[in-house]
Amino acid sequence: MEKFVDPCCEKCSHTKDTPCKDFVECCVEGPICHENQECAQKRKNITEKVALDEKFVIS
Amino acid sequence: MYEKHLMICGATGCLSSGSNQIAEALKEELDKQGIKDKYRLVMGGCPGFCEVGPIIVIYPDEVFYCRLQTKDMAELVETHLIGGEIVEKLLYKGPDVEAPARFYDSIPFYFKQKFNVLRNSGIIDPESIDEYIMRGGYRALRRALQMEPLAICDEVKDAGLRGRGGAGFPTGVKWSFTNKAPGPKKYIVCNADEGDPGAFMDRSILEGDPHAILEGMLIAGRACGADEGYIYCRAEYPLAIRRLITAIQQAEEYGLLGSNILDSGFNFKINIKEGAGAFVCGEETALLASIEGKRGMPRPRPPFPAQVGVFGKPTTINNVETLANIPLIVREGGVAEFASVGTEGSKGTKVFALAGKVRNTGLVEVPMGITIEEIIFDVGGGIQGGREFKAVQAGGPSGGCIPQDLINLPIDYDSLTQAGAIMGSGGLVVMDDRTCMVDLANYFLSFTQKESCGKCTPCREGTKRMLEILDRITEGEGVPEDLDTLDSLAHSIKDSALCGLGQTCPNPVLTTIRYFRHEYEEHINEKFCRSGICKPLFQYQIDQENCNGCRACVRVCPVEAIKGEKKEPHEVIQELCTRCGSCIEKCRQDCIMITRVGSEADVGN
Repeated sequence: MEKFVDPCCEKCSHTKDTPCKDFVECCVEGPICHENQECAQKRKNITEKVALDEKFVIS
Repeated sequence: MYEKHLMICGATGCLSSGSNQIAEALKEELDKQGIKDKYRLVMGGCPGFCEVGPIIVIYPDEVFYCRLQTKDMAELVETHLIGGEIVEKLLYKGPDVEAPARFYDSIPFYFKQKFNVLRNSGIIDPESIDEYIMRGGYRALRRALQMEPLAICDEVKDAGLRGRGGAGFPTGVKWSFTNKAPGPKKYIVCNADEGDPGAFMDRSILEGDPHAILEGMLIAGRACGADEGYIYCRAEYPLAIRRLITAIQQAEEYGLLGSNILDSGFNFKINIKEGAGAFVCGEETALLASIEGKRGMPRPRPPFPAQVGVFGKPTTINNVETLANIPLIVREGGVAEFASVGTEGSKGTKVFALAGKVRNTGLVEVPMGITIEEIIFDVGGGIQGGREFKAVQAGGPSGGCIPQDLINLPIDYDSLTQAGAIMGSGGLVVMDDRTCMVDLANYFLSFTQKESCGKCTPCREGTKRMLEILDRITEGEGVPEDLDTLDSLAHSIKDSALCGLGQTCPNPVLTTIRYFRHEYEEHINEKFCRSGICKPLFQYQIDQENCNGCRACVRVCPVEAIKGEKKEPHEVIQELCTRCGSCIEKCRQDCIMITRVGSEADVGN
């Protein structure tokens, strides 16, 4: 998962053709539709790479 | 993970002062040291302080380096990035700080600013949708998709947002008109045709945070019942257009633009239309004509665009800054937060392009209601060279000139209108005591006259006649009746021009007559321009008592119009002098005086 739009695992179905209503929240707080530490970490990796400081991410 | 983030201002202002070359030199230096993978370099949006560009801000240290040159990069890498020490000589220094300032919180330019619209500018990579989402982006859209369209209009009304493009019409009310207009096809248009000389607020927002505009348009689309939008942006903004195209592609890829957005059933697409740069195309009906491929000319209203807009369909037109405010308002708790800033009639913040004779030029975002004095002296750092503040032109070429007497005037829609000026799109041109107000009115009117589309007679002919009179006055051929004629023509144009640009273009003349009538009278009756601008109306003379004969003026005079021996007082040969002003700029003794033609009177410079 390099970008938020990439699926974290096979459970993520969001694409432009099969949209998920929770996609925006899911980017930073996800995964929302299932529980998985690894999937959460994948999202965290994306934010940690570019967040300038601890105030950067706004939930 | 990166050790540090190097945010380089990649907006047009800093690019023109060499930030691309700075970035290249920095990359080269990091490569040379074998540490390039430890640091992330981003060409970000504008941090506003254009006067001291090019700028780099290093995070998480939050150190603000300015006035950079490529030769500084080796020291910056070795001392700061490798050595962990701040490079003092590259920090901000100025008369307003006791010691070199490290970051925003220690630079007076930023003390009174509040970043709403510019919240992400210089903080995120404008070409990354992920970073926009991390900063809370598209959350307001998600919320809007769960709301009834008219409830969104109500929230925007409750927030008190007024259009930032010039007229200040309540945005929520405008949206509700389009919402209630009949028909299945409606449009949202983003007016990014920023035409005021010296204004670059919209450009900086588009370059620094393009997704905020897309999100604002999407929410507007949802509220108005529109499924398509246009961004009308002048072609002279290639970087803004490039970043918008990237942002649109990303939003489409993420399913935030297109069909069935976030599984809501809401569809929206955005097109970009490049304008050719005509000033009149900033007027909404001219802009709509231009989108349709017709010549950009206003048309009478009604019908208003909310009823009959682009391609004959109901259309909402919002300015860039207005749209950038929308995600802040529509997010959870946004209405109260937005409305907590500003005055009773003007809520939120306003972005201004601060230019002219002020020390700190650049882009500033301040709460509505801040006074002119605070903007010019606290944010702007006062007048260049310690000279006296004379006036400020607010609202671009169609705005008005506010004099020193009104320095405590709060900047909000109603106070500016009462003073004869307008908010306009947010240009603030500061003038010092060496500005001739007749010449200034002439300059702004010549701009609007050249840009008049010619469709309506009052604007086309009226501005021409006014300009002829102003030309005569500045050439020393004014007659006492000219002031009444100017006043009468100006009011006729205001009352009868077809569009807002025509109706407001006499403002610089009217306000300068209102506040600086004595200067007009001096030009007309005494044939004298005390500011030393209108060349036929003054002469330079050298103060024989104070001149020490340093020959600085002799050396700089391009036409050898100054004579005198070394250490002896010099003299201007009036027949040769072209009044270019080189001598007065050069004289260290302040002994070159501006006097009436043929007179010996001492007026001082």
